[in-house]
Amino acid sequence: MERAYSRTRILAAFGIILVLILVDHLNSPTFAFNSGQGNVQTALSQRDETACAPCGAPCPSTRN
Amino acid sequence: MSDSAVLQPGLQQPGWQVDRFIVSTALVGLALLGGLIWLETAPFMVALFVIGTLLGMALYHGAFGFTAGWRNLVVKKRGAGMRAQLLLFGLSSLIMVPMLHSGQAGLVGAVAPVGTSLVFGSFIFGLGMQLGGGCGSGTLFTVGAGNIRMVVTLVFFIAGAVLGSIHLPWWLDQPGFDPVPLVNSFGVSGAILVQFVGLGLVAWWVNRIERKAHGTIERDELLWKGQSHGVLRTLLSGRWPFTWAILILAAGNALTLAIGGAPWSITFAFNVWGAKALEVVGVNMSQFEFWTWDYPAMALKDSVLTNIPSVMNFGLLLGAMLAAGLANRFNEASRNRPEGRQFLAAVVGGLLLGYGARLGFGCNIGALFSGIASASLHAWVWFACAFAGSLIGIRLRPWFRLPN
Repeated sequence: MERAYSRTRILAAFGIILVLILVDHLNSPTFAFNSGQGNVQTALSQRDETACAPCGAPCPSTRN
Repeated sequence: MSDSAVLQPGLQQPGWQVDRFIVSTALVGLALLGGLIWLETAPFMVALFVIGTLLGMALYHGAFGFTAGWRNLVVKKRGAGMRAQLLLFGLSSLIMVPMLHSGQAGLVGAVAPVGTSLVFGSFIFGLGMQLGGGCGSGTLFTVGAGNIRMVVTLVFFIAGAVLGSIHLPWWLDQPGFDPVPLVNSFGVSGAILVQFVGLGLVAWWVNRIERKAHGTIERDELLWKGQSHGVLRTLLSGRWPFTWAILILAAGNALTLAIGGAPWSITFAFNVWGAKALEVVGVNMSQFEFWTWDYPAMALKDSVLTNIPSVMNFGLLLGAMLAAGLANRFNEASRNRPEGRQFLAAVVGGLLLGYGARLGFGCNIGALFSGIASASLHAWVWFACAFAGSLIGIRLRPWFRLPN
């Protein structure tokens, strides 16, 4: 059976996604914290339990 | 020439071929990303990444698509896919509602407001499902399995989600009310019972449609054994009976709640990815109200590797890719190149999915599956409205040259 995809494209797509994730991470507060920088707020230990929806939206009753 | 190879001795069974390149690439991707998450975040994020991977495999091998299940009921009058979903919701409700109300600190259910935003969002999401070719999980696992048209759907899903995030505050100002957890009215056992009655009524309606059209009901959702191969081969290369997928998906969502503190969700990550992309090209997202709220603002600012939906989505994509490689079916859906109108359907469907998911507080996973597992009224409203939208989407599919 003939292959239905290009290996090069698969690897290129993988490489691009990995680089994007790395660049995003290297510019993040979590990376700064891991590098020894204090006073940074990271998302890892943060959860907004007061929000009204999983996306963090407030309750309709609190909006004026 | 075929790129596949017969499995190594020990796993070898006659006629079973795997796509070594895809399996190796998926495993390398899992190892690299898993290692990075391990080094840079926390062990619980690695656990969630692994759960995401298993969920991706279960969705692919179980062919557990919400979109096709709904369409099969409407078009072919077959209800096995729909009943499998109802069984999944019932089982998860039984497990997760008591978990959420066990008194353990830090667990938050998938509850959301009920109002104009939810009704409109879930309706257009349902429409988009049929045009885009999948829901949130369906889009991701088919992209992981190499479906080119679904990559287009995903890109516009992300675009629609960002647009939805910009408009959500306006929609929240339209008529609506705060979340309604059924537990507040009925207690834990009562809420589970009420939901079972609701699921039973839907199942009765599904059975009625199937029996009326065919005279009998196919009970595919209750099969325990693979139809053509042994257990090990079926486990690795599919296709799984619905029951296996139901158990893995229910366990996966419960573990996500136990480990991550909130039930499984998918589409919030699309908001984050899209907003990050816009920031790269110079758009200041903090000018929009949604991105000033605590959780979205923090998710936008920090690494995607600290965002639970993102990490689980990465696992899901790679899990589906691994499963497709093991089944030797990677990219199979793209052998026949989609034509223009089919791509247009992916664009329109993707935008509706993204916009609808943001307004409707999630997709079939975050709003429907996790919402019912959290005994939230909004999940039932979402279900009804998305199904109504899906009916219109099914009618529109032929114009887009999509088979029904």
